[in-house]
Amino acid sequence: MQPRSSAVLSAAAVRALCGAAAGSIAGDVRPRLARLVRFASLALFTACSGPAPGPAAAPRPSAPPAPAAPDKLLPPSAFASIEPPAARSQALFAEASRVLLHARCVNCHPPDDSPRQGDAHAFHDPPAVRGPADRGVPAMQCGSCHQDQNLPYARVPGAPDWHLAPVEMAWLGRSSAQICAQLSDPRRNGQKTLAQIQHHLAHDALVGWGWGPGHGRSAPPGSQVELGALFQAWIDTGAVCPAGEEKRP
Amino acid sequence: MSERGDRRGRGASEETTGGAPPSEDRARFTITVSRRSFLAGLAGLGAAAAGLALGVRVPGAEAAGATGAAVFAPNPFIQIGTDGVVTIVCHRSEMGQGIRSSLHVLIADELGADPAKVQLVQGDGDPKYGDQNTDGSSSIRGQYEAMRTVGAAARMMLVTAAAKRLGAPEARLLAQGNAVHDPVTKRSVPFGELAVAAAKLKVPAKPVLRPRAELVHVGTPMPLVDAPGYVTGAAKFAADVQLPGMLTAVIARPPVVLGKVARLDEAKAKAVPGVVQVVQLPAPTAPVKFQPLGGVAVIARHTWAAIRGRAALEVAWDGGPNAAYDSAEFTRSLLATVRAPGEPVRRLGDAAAALARAAKVVEAEYVVPHLVHAPMEPPAAVARMDGGRCEIWACTQDPQTAQESVAEALGIDKSAVTVHVTFLGGGFGRKSKPDFIVEAALLARAAGAPVRVQWTREDDLRHSYYHTHSAQALAAGLDAGGNVIAWRHRLAYPSISSTFAPNANRPSRGEVNQGVVDVPLDVPNLSVETGEAKAHARVGWLRSVCNIQQAFAVQSFIDELAAATKRDPRDMLLQVLGKPRTLGPAELGVEAKMLGNYGAPLDKHPIDVARFHRVIEKVTAAAGWDAARKAGRAVGLAVHRSFLSYIGVVAQVSRGPRGEVRVDEAWIAADCGTIINADRVRSQLEGAFVFGQSLFTHGAITMKAGAVEQRNFRDYPLVRMPAAPRRIHVELIPSEGPPGGVGEPGVPPVAPAIANAAFALTGTRVRTLPLVPVRPVRPVS
Amino acid sequence: MKLDVNGQAREVEADPEMPLLWVLRDLLGLTGTKYGCGEALCGACTVHLDGNAVRSCVTPVRRAAGKKIVTIEGLSPRGDHPLQQAWAELGVPQCGFCQAGQIMSAAALLAASPKPTDEEIDRSLAGNLCRCGTYVRIRAAVRKAAGV
Repeated sequence: MQPRSSAVLSAAAVRALCGAAAGSIAGDVRPRLARLVRFASLALFTACSGPAPGPAAAPRPSAPPAPAAPDKLLPPSAFASIEPPAARSQALFAEASRVLLHARCVNCHPPDDSPRQGDAHAFHDPPAVRGPADRGVPAMQCGSCHQDQNLPYARVPGAPDWHLAPVEMAWLGRSSAQICAQLSDPRRNGQKTLAQIQHHLAHDALVGWGWGPGHGRSAPPGSQVELGALFQAWIDTGAVCPAGEEKRP
Repeated sequence: MSERGDRRGRGASEETTGGAPPSEDRARFTITVSRRSFLAGLAGLGAAAAGLALGVRVPGAEAAGATGAAVFAPNPFIQIGTDGVVTIVCHRSEMGQGIRSSLHVLIADELGADPAKVQLVQGDGDPKYGDQNTDGSSSIRGQYEAMRTVGAAARMMLVTAAAKRLGAPEARLLAQGNAVHDPVTKRSVPFGELAVAAAKLKVPAKPVLRPRAELVHVGTPMPLVDAPGYVTGAAKFAADVQLPGMLTAVIARPPVVLGKVARLDEAKAKAVPGVVQVVQLPAPTAPVKFQPLGGVAVIARHTWAAIRGRAALEVAWDGGPNAAYDSAEFTRSLLATVRAPGEPVRRLGDAAAALARAAKVVEAEYVVPHLVHAPMEPPAAVARMDGGRCEIWACTQDPQTAQESVAEALGIDKSAVTVHVTFLGGGFGRKSKPDFIVEAALLARAAGAPVRVQWTREDDLRHSYYHTHSAQALAAGLDAGGNVIAWRHRLAYPSISSTFAPNANRPSRGEVNQGVVDVPLDVPNLSVETGEAKAHARVGWLRSVCNIQQAFAVQSFIDELAAATKRDPRDMLLQVLGKPRTLGPAELGVEAKMLGNYGAPLDKHPIDVARFHRVIEKVTAAAGWDAARKAGRAVGLAVHRSFLSYIGVVAQVSRGPRGEVRVDEAWIAADCGTIINADRVRSQLEGAFVFGQSLFTHGAITMKAGAVEQRNFRDYPLVRMPAAPRRIHVELIPSEGPPGGVGEPGVPPVAPAIANAAFALTGTRVRTLPLVPVRPVRPVS
Repeated sequence: MKLDVNGQAREVEADPEMPLLWVLRDLLGLTGTKYGCGEALCGACTVHLDGNAVRSCVTPVRRAAGKKIVTIEGLSPRGDHPLQQAWAELGVPQCGFCQAGQIMSAAALLAASPKPTDEEIDRSLAGNLCRCGTYVRIRAAVRKAAGV
């Protein structure tokens, strides 16, 4: 089986690019472009680090990529050589879980009626409660205090339509496998398709707040764009959940 | 209770200020009731009216004497117009304790006026009112007789005038309901018609007080006079005072006491729209006393601009001598101190020998951290210069000290400083200190315009006068029968005196008189010793002061003794207190000059064990103590005497939904002697319970590198409604004895009662407060 | 910008990010709404925007544009809203500083839930601190005003 990442390139093209790739991995000052370049570079690098592609090359054993720095997310290409695709899919989700399990996310995905706050998941103070529409109760609505953006002096975080994820989408205290099962279940993900979930993760402003939490709060690794890309790649590889997923009833 | 011999009531015709010698609780009282002061008195009342004329709404100055001419003013407190309107001055600050719903009731009852019809005026800072330092739970207990005397003097003059008018003998005339009545002829003359004649009379030298039974409203629940203002937002607090052309200042203060500005770049601050001026304030010198802390003030057109301006200042601070203070390290040093002998302040028998031969020894150490008042209204003050005069509006507990401090800071005479007292959104002792008022005065002068200094919540938490940080070590020796034969109490904490005197480095006399040397202990061998502790923070007084940690330790420890001997804590407490008796210095084991008794003579306010027994009996009965314990409910008991009142508390706790200790219900029995407004007393005791619950559960101010770590309520939580008990029962024990304090005594027994209940629930002792340590949150930049 | 405050049209010149609290107090002279913490932790600054209780100390004034702003001064024309009456009858306030915010929160609760349970009262007023500790009386006054 041919290594997938180089399937679209001729062998000669890959060899030519490999030399270029080595230079461009060093980095670029413009962050967004840098990420794209890195993405492409790593894809090529992965291709380049393998044996010269050729017909009937033997499949390589799956090697998980080296973990990213704590504040970074690996791009989908880092997982390209993992075989079989199901295993690649699982690895992609595991990487995405580094965001999903982060405090900035799970604090608003509690399994009960209480939002959490802080990296130690303390109960929200003042004691906010979920309320009938996940947006609090009279005089203690999420929007009573949380604005549409962070504030310069007050430490109250903000993003449009601040609210809790429905209790079916509890993530706090759950494993990556359990979260995956929840995301994949239309009965527990708000009747969404995976594409819709990907769009939500990649574009929703409240989700995006996680990476700009303000006032010294820790942010999940990578960026919203990168999370979106990982999630898309997970979908593309069959949306396979990590082992240990709950059996669907 | 005989009123004779009370040194505070002085009559007319004395032109000098007479009164009690300065005493520990500073309840000096002076009356100047000569004719010469009549006009001065009017001027004082008129100031409030003048304030109205300027369009400045001053709280409590509701139409002060605005209608009928104020013709009868026998003293600075009472004024009656020809229209019959009775105006009474409240010269003490209203911070929620209800003095504005109490003081006039007492005066009106004595006078014969209807309290509901009294026009209430808030007095400015003025020595003619005597002591205005609203602190130490002393307004009623310190001035009860004096206030009755001013009412009695006015009443007697009105009766004399009425007697002439009616041709009836004075002795049978009755003053009540704003009129003088002749019960024989059924004729009455309203006060308004007597005012002119009464004003011509000489003020009686020795006003005669009514029999207590004739004070018909005193001791009953009376309305909250200021409720309408509070519930509509009309009541004016300091920050609500708005003057034409007024600017607002927000100040960046050194994070460490006695720190200084090392480097300042004000360019960005000045560029913030609305910022008018940046002014450096002078750095204080040690001892700090009431001096402002210094720093850099941003003066702006409105508060938001000032806040933004301050955030844009680039300041580097020189830490100064306290920059190494670490409160966590200090805890260790305090504990080390109390593990060694100290300086004895109370001694009976030979505690060391008795401990050595005891069948059983129980020991425990108690730690209470720094606390802060955190009134809902952060400090604020408005100052305006007018030529060489300074006019202030402030939420001050002590307007005369504010006058003195402002005068000193500005280099003018005290008589050139006017201090108007607004409503206080809570005080708890923080607002006795005029540092924030001096800031306003200095900045008004610097700006050439009226200035409001607005403290933010962060300022209030970071730059306060903190309740001291203490450690105490208790040891008791028990004989084979479980009797306490030895008691040793060692305590160490920086003294409040350190804020005022450079070398004060151990608990002071006043402080050990708050629940240590004055506690009845039926133990033949006892030793109480103080240890040294230097202050590195600005230490001040906070609602009930050192009673907080000392009652916490003593009442928790007695509960520990009960557990050690498998006895009912109530029985242990009764045993340790001993049989009903009163105690003087000899029985207590203290030198006579050491015993302060809150500035009150022991014969009038004895340390009375029968009264301890009574509140214990009442509160345990109300709580169903025996049945509760039998049924396995977790209840805890504590009793404490402070500010001359006796309070017993039972708290009942259970496990909350998250496993936390939940306070379900509380019972309080209070013997405060004579009380004025029963509903305000009740509310103070209810509120004191929650205050004590907050300090038990959450209260901790910590310092690192000399700076306070806490920023806002996230780091210094308070009890919120869901955590407050479902019911707080208050039983007021009726008394015709002299009044004791009300504002503070409810606090000290609360923390130990809850701690003792928590032990009953969990089997674990809470010896270090608070129950729930909160990690401080540090903002970025 | 134009603001609708207590039924009156008011015109203010303010940075859109300026908190509504300071617009109300410093620019419009409505001092019934209080500053207690500036961080939405104490509730003393509570006002209504289109009937919803918000903490004005963190609400940028731009968020209030086009909405009905009601402050404590505008809760009732004569200060006789059932909550205000109940507060006075039961002697709820001590220092009074937090009470405007408490009443505004309670009013929002009663508008949404006219017969609240004890738990609902606690949950809705959990954001309003009272340092004087009047909570037990506040609960009783809310129940009284609600007729429960």
